[in-house]
Amino acid sequence: MSEKFSRRDFLKLAGVGAATTAVLTGCGPASRYVKREPYMQMPEYNYNGQSTYYATTCRECAAGCGLIVRTVQGRAIKTEGNVNNPLNLGKTCARGQATLHGLYNPDRVMDPLKRNSRGGESTEVMDWEAAIQVVADALKNNKPEEIAFLMGMAPDHLFDLATDFANATGINAPVRFGALGMFEARATLSKASENLFGEASLPFFDVGGAQVVFSFGANFLETWLSPVSYTRGFASLRESKTKQRGTFVQFESRMSQTGGKADEWIPLRPGSEALVALAIGRLASESRGGPMPRAFSSVDPLEAASKSGIKLETLEHLAEMFAGSNNALAIPGGAALGQSNGLAVAEAVLALNAISDNFGKPGGVYFSALAPNQAEYQGPASAKEMVELIQKMFDGKIKVLFVHGVNPLFELPTSLEFGGASKYVSQIISFATFPDETVREADYVFPDHHGLESWGYQRVTTGSAQPVLSGAQPVVSPYYNTRATADVLIAAAQLAGGIFAEALPFKDEVEFLQSKAASLMNAADGSISAADINTFMAYFQQHGGYWKLSDARGIPNAVDVLNRNFSAEEAQFEGEGEFFFVPFVSPTLAEAGANKPWLQELPDPTTTVMWNTWVEMNPETAHELGIENDDVVKIISEAGELEVPVYVYPAIRPDTIAMPFGQGHTAYGRYAEQRGVNPADLLGQHFNEAGDLAFAGMKVKIEKTGKKQPLSRLESMMGVYGIGLGEE
Amino acid sequence: MDIKISEVKLSEEQAGKWGLVIDQDICTGCQACVAACAMENNLSFVGEEDSGYGRSMHWIRIERFWEGEYPEVKMTPNQPMMCQQCGSAPCEPVCPVFATVHSEAEQLNLQVYNRCVGTRYCANNCPYQVRSFNWRDYERPEPLPNQLNPDVTVRRRGVMEKCTFCIQRIHQAQDQAKAEGREVVDGEFTTACAQACPASAIIFGRVDDPESLVSQLGRRSHGVKHLEELGTLPNVTYFKGG
Repeated sequence: MSEKFSRRDFLKLAGVGAATTAVLTGCGPASRYVKREPYMQMPEYNYNGQSTYYATTCRECAAGCGLIVRTVQGRAIKTEGNVNNPLNLGKTCARGQATLHGLYNPDRVMDPLKRNSRGGESTEVMDWEAAIQVVADALKNNKPEEIAFLMGMAPDHLFDLATDFANATGINAPVRFGALGMFEARATLSKASENLFGEASLPFFDVGGAQVVFSFGANFLETWLSPVSYTRGFASLRESKTKQRGTFVQFESRMSQTGGKADEWIPLRPGSEALVALAIGRLASESRGGPMPRAFSSVDPLEAASKSGIKLETLEHLAEMFAGSNNALAIPGGAALGQSNGLAVAEAVLALNAISDNFGKPGGVYFSALAPNQAEYQGPASAKEMVELIQKMFDGKIKVLFVHGVNPLFELPTSLEFGGASKYVSQIISFATFPDETVREADYVFPDHHGLESWGYQRVTTGSAQPVLSGAQPVVSPYYNTRATADVLIAAAQLAGGIFAEALPFKDEVEFLQSKAASLMNAADGSISAADINTFMAYFQQHGGYWKLSDARGIPNAVDVLNRNFSAEEAQFEGEGEFFFVPFVSPTLAEAGANKPWLQELPDPTTTVMWNTWVEMNPETAHELGIENDDVVKIISEAGELEVPVYVYPAIRPDTIAMPFGQGHTAYGRYAEQRGVNPADLLGQHFNEAGDLAFAGMKVKIEKTGKKQPLSRLESMMGVYGIGLGEE
Repeated sequence: MDIKISEVKLSEEQAGKWGLVIDQDICTGCQACVAACAMENNLSFVGEEDSGYGRSMHWIRIERFWEGEYPEVKMTPNQPMMCQQCGSAPCEPVCPVFATVHSEAEQLNLQVYNRCVGTRYCANNCPYQVRSFNWRDYERPEPLPNQLNPDVTVRRRGVMEKCTFCIQRIHQAQDQAKAEGREVVDGEFTTACAQACPASAIIFGRVDDPESLVSQLGRRSHGVKHLEELGTLPNVTYFKGG
């Protein structure tokens, strides 16, 4: 089997050029790689200046947006959204645009490497045969229950392969984790959905169809769940051509990028979200008349007003706004759920939707449509479940840990001690594309291709009304000596023999993908169908995936919601100190964007800071403490301390400070390393009832350091609080 | 002296050709347009220190301002700002070497890189502050140059640059249409910023075609043009929203 396949044949299989109306088939799984052509040797099909376009799937987050990548002579030049993909309809976010700076990043892992000592710089280059032997030996020489997979939230096809492999061999079921999932509090959302509606599903909020949207901390225009899809929803909420312009109210202690778009921004006291939601529920029910539902009967709006710091008149006005619309929607999310009472907040806010009875209706709450090859919603591991894995590592029950698509040493709070536990694991094998913190602590790194060089698929978990399976294919040939992790596992399993070989009876990754897609080939209501698998896969790649044609969102069964009792208790905050600490995911960098130079140079949407970390502080607080812009302060929590320059931020409560998550890498390439700090270092081991990390459930102290560190910002300092105008 | 007034073409008569309409009410400030522009137009990144000095090479930036004080504080609607492709551009007459000139064919404000000698007069005279200057040859280590768009010139130190309305895309669409013996259809292509925008807050098209989407939107009553009072005849219309 030849690995190199001529580009022309590949095109037949995979091209999405406008002229490709008939898809030619007959290419087997061997048709793997596109060749990168030097400009001197023009491929015959390529005219000077003509581009070739390929459909694939973005891997910068787990949302699964479809991409069309423009390539010229084997080089990826530009990503655009796939207009046909029902999730993103031709749009992308900034991270999707900058994914090319990950592909052509100068600091990728270029070869399989053996690290001579963990944490050290010195490595030896291996060849792939030896690498596969290492994986095969790891499988053979350990008991299955001593082998574990830790995987990221993307890609799904590799997770499916590892799951099948684990099920057949008795290896631990793969654990998935991602910092985005942690900050989104996905486990809390699905648990609240289970408690209220009897189904542990991921709710979908139809922002676009609503008239009034109340968001309690949900940063849905930034990184939350499926930002491109929610941004489209927001645009149609505001669209005033065909209907009345919708109103948006955000409740949060620190104005996020999402909150900046709100018509009314309500800075409530952290921890009082459940109380406020129930109080609004009570006032809205009063305003609508009729018997008071049990859900809201015990809450006292006056108490809510005093505890949350929101004026009673404001609560009444908001309640009337909510009650007065037949199309009102309430969304729980973000920091509001990352508190000790996060589950109660999620339930109380979801219950508000019962007032406008919007379940399963346009502008209301749905269950997200499951992907075409998905039986039930499967969320990533909560932080508490990660603690279980870490405990197993500490106890020496895990001898071999395979890591793919996640960087636990950066993404998990330091206090969970993943680093300490990893010392009890005899062998850590990373499949990372980038030399991140976890790679540095791993014995081996067997680099996977970049997402744009990879086959695969990603299930769309939320954001699209239709079930979508976004398909990925290589748009360029692998730039470095990397190999698909699925291929490595398949080859190692064959080499290990026995049950391992039986568990993965595939020639390669493509054959595995075909086996997974076969059931969709002639399924009803599909966007594509074909008589044989090769034709089907060609269509699958050409269109960038497979989706159902009709709406498959679930309707939550909300019969008894208003007859339940809800907890209005406030959150408990851990640690001593006068400031509530709110970490938030950087809207431009997210969890894994710090290695891409153009993402670093994008100004933060609210502060316009580039290339660094800051802590946001209310101007009045800063004035009282004698702190100015760019003064470095030390933040001390019960779990740790770090130093960071201050950004005096006009839209944050005086008792709250906030810090973006995304920087503070000690590895991860030249653009990320030694830049900023990681707020995860301050987070303690506290969880909400659903097992999600109570990341916004801490109080911290601040000390001045006397140092100054100027932040690079796009906005001019001129006129910011009078600086430069002689009135500071 | 007898200047014949009738022979002086009043600037108000100069019609634009291409234009943008930007709805600030739905712009979320997500920076997708900024990243898309950087990828499409081979923009250099300058690093932390130079960007702190205001030397970053953004051809489009999102402005936001604050109104009021906590707790009554409001973020003003996000305002994407790029070259307004003025019909009567203040940057043009000050260039001593005719590096920034008005295109008759496209009615765009061109920047001819190999004429530019870096006086920076144009940036000084631009009321929108949308021109960026290459203070250095910014490093773009291998293999990052693989991503460079072959349709767009890479600029060197000492050269001014700015938004071109993705003129390479305009030309490609025109060539394609010409080869097929037809006119360019509205919506057939768009600029990188408009194509990426998840909220569809940026719309691009022909402002001289009354039927185009951008013209139809531009006729909405709440559209404004920035610093119109300067007589620059900008080709970008903003909806303040609300």
